Amino acid sequence: MRALVVEDEPDVADDIRAALQAVGFVVDIAPDGRDAWFSGDVEDYDIAILDLGLPHLDGLSVLKRWRAADRLFPVIIVSARGDWTERVEGINAGADDYMGKPFEMGELIARVRGLLRRAAGRGSSMVAIGPLRIDSQRMSVELNGVPVRLSPLEFRLLDYLAHNIARAVPATELADHLYGTADSGDSNAIEALVGRLRRKVGAELIATRRGFGYVLDQPA
Amino acid sequence: MIARSLRWRLIATGAIAIAAALFAAWFFMTLLFEHHLERRLADELQRDGLKVIAGLSLTPGGALVAQDMPADDRFATPASGLYWQASTARTVLRSRSLWDQALPTSSTASKEQWSERLGAGPFEPRLVLLERRIVLDAGSNPVLVQIGQNADALTSAGREFGRELAYFLVILWLALSGAAWVQVALGLRPLGAIRRAVDRLRQSPAERLAAEGPAEVQPLIDAINALADAREDDLDRARRRAADLAHGLKTPLAALAAQSRRARADGAVQAADGLDRAIAAVRGAVESELARTRVAAVRRDAGLSCPARVIAEQVVAVLERTEAGEGLAFDVDLPDALRLPLAAEDLTELLGAAAENAVRYARRRVRIGGSGGATAVLMVEDDGPGLDEKDAQAALARGARLDESGGQGLGLAIVRDVAEATGGTLALARSDLGGLAIRISWPG
Repeated sequence: MRALVVEDEPDVADDIRAALQAVGFVVDIAPDGRDAWFSGDVEDYDIAILDLGLPHLDGLSVLKRWRAADRLFPVIIVSARGDWTERVEGINAGADDYMGKPFEMGELIARVRGLLRRAAGRGSSMVAIGPLRIDSQRMSVELNGVPVRLSPLEFRLLDYLAHNIARAVPATELADHLYGTADSGDSNAIEALVGRLRRKVGAELIATRRGFGYVLDQPA
Repeated sequence: MIARSLRWRLIATGAIAIAAALFAAWFFMTLLFEHHLERRLADELQRDGLKVIAGLSLTPGGALVAQDMPADDRFATPASGLYWQASTARTVLRSRSLWDQALPTSSTASKEQWSERLGAGPFEPRLVLLERRIVLDAGSNPVLVQIGQNADALTSAGREFGRELAYFLVILWLALSGAAWVQVALGLRPLGAIRRAVDRLRQSPAERLAAEGPAEVQPLIDAINALADAREDDLDRARRRAADLAHGLKTPLAALAAQSRRARADGAVQAADGLDRAIAAVRGAVESELARTRVAAVRRDAGLSCPARVIAEQVVAVLERTEAGEGLAFDVDLPDALRLPLAAEDLTELLGAAAENAVRYARRRVRIGGSGGATAVLMVEDDGPGLDEKDAQAALARGARLDESGGQGLGLAIVRDVAEATGGTLALARSDLGGLAIRISWPG
C-alpha cells in the first residue's frame, strides 16, 4: 500500500509517516502544493493525506487538479481551519474525508483503513439497470452517464438491491445487511434512506411492494 | 437633565425672546392707543369749542352773551366731567356742569390756535383743557374760550385697552411658544433618527446610517459612518489576528503531539502524559477562540437569505463521509423554496454544528426538516437517546456560551450563538424519532 502525505510542517509529516509505516504503508511526503500535484499525477497511490494550507499551491487546488486529471485515489483532508464552509468545499472538490488539526493519530489511521476497506475487497462488477450504471469497484453510480454522489450507506443499499434484482427485499433484510443487526425501529431508517435514494436516482426505479419490501427492477 | 437638553434650551430661549418682543409690542401699542385717544378727544373738544365760539356775541354795552351752546347733555349736568367756559375781563360765562366752580384761567392761550394742557379740574384731579383767545368784534377785548374734559375716562380706556391687549398677547405667546416647540421638535428629529441608527450600529457593526440627511446633519452622518468604518476595520483586524493566532497554534500543536508520541515510544511515559494534558488544554482554548471568531464574523445585515435545502445537502454530503455518519440514514426534508434569513456560510456553520451533534448521538437516522411562513423554522433531529427536559435545560444553561464552554461541547453553543446573532432562537425538545430535536426559529 502506498500513501502520499502532503504536509509542509516536517514534524507533523514525519509523525504521520511513522504512524502509517507502522501499519505497513510505504509513504511519500510532499512538502508543498506543486510537489503534491506532480507526485499525485505521476505515481499510483492508494490513499493521500492532504493538508490545505500549503506553499506554492493550496491543497484544495491540488485536489481539484487531481480529480480533473481522473486521479481517483481516496483523499483525506487535514486542515487547521476546521470550519464547515471549508469542509463543504473540500468534499465538493472531491475529498473523501476531512479531519481538523490537531487530530488523534489513531483516528487518522482508523479513517485511512475505513476508506481503503470501502474501496477494496470488491469484485470488479458493473451492473446496468435501465439508466443506472453501478460500479462496485469504484463505488460509483451513474445515471444516464452523469455521476451521482451517494453516501456509503446509500451505495450499499443500492448495490444490495442491484444484486437482488427484481426481488422484493424486506426492510429487515436490508437493515440486517446494512447494520449487521436489525431491530424494530430500523425499518423507519431504511424508509428514510430509500426516500433519499429515490430522490437521487429517480423514484420510478425503486418500487415498494407493500408487505414484501423494496424492489429494484429494469424499467418496463 | 433639562439644563443639558438642547430641546429645552431652544424652547426656553424661544419663549423668552417671544415674551420680550410681545411685551415691547404691548408697551408701544398701548402708548400709541393713548395718543390716538388724546387726539380724538382733542378733536371733539375743538368741535365743541367752535360751537361755543359760534354762539358767543357781545352786547352793544360790551357784555358777553351766549346762545345755542353745544347740545351735549353733559354740559347741562353738574360735575359731569365736560365743561365749557368763556371769559372776558368783565364777564365769565360757563356751562351748567361747572356749577359754582370755574376753569383755571390761562395766561398762555394764544389767538392763533387751540392749545391743550393738562391740569387739575374743579371736580376731578386731572382735566384735559383746550383753550383759545378769540376777538369777537374788531377792537373789543379778546374772549378766553375753554373746553375741559375729565381725563379719567381717557386713562381708564387706555388701561382697559392695555389689559385686553395683554390677554390677547399672552394667548399669542402661548401659541408662538407652541409653534417654537413644534419647530424645535421637527428640527431635532434628524438627531433622534441618528440616535436610533447609532443604536442599530452598536448591535451590528456592518450597519450604516442612511447616506442622505439634512444638509446641517450630513457632516455628522458622514463622520459617524467614517467612525463605524474604522471600527469595523479594527474589529475585522482583531478577529483576523485572533483567528490567525489560533490557526497558527494548531500546526505546532500537531507537531507537539508528534513529539509526545515519540517521547512515549522512547519510554518517557510521564513526560508524554504531561505534554498531552497541556496539548489538550491549549487545543480546547484554541477551538473555543476559533468558534468565537466564527460567531463574531456572523453577518447581521438586513435582507440576508440563503437556500436551506442546498446547504443542508452539502452538510449531509460531508457528514455521510465521516466515520460516525457513514452508517446513518440522512433525511433532508426541506421545501426546495425554503430560504432562511442568514448568510450561506453562517447557515453552513450552524447546520454543520447542529447536524454533527445529531450524528454523534444518532443510532440510525438524522432528519433535517423545516418550514417557512411567518416564522422560518429549521429542525435537526436524531434517533439517539435524546435529552430529557432537565438535561436539555442544563445543556443550554451550562454556560452554553462560547465564552464559558472552554472548547468542550462547542456544538450546541455554536448553534445557539449563530442563531441568536442572526435574530433566531434555539430550543431543545424530544424528537418523534426518539432522540433530540434541535429547533431554530427566526421570526419573520
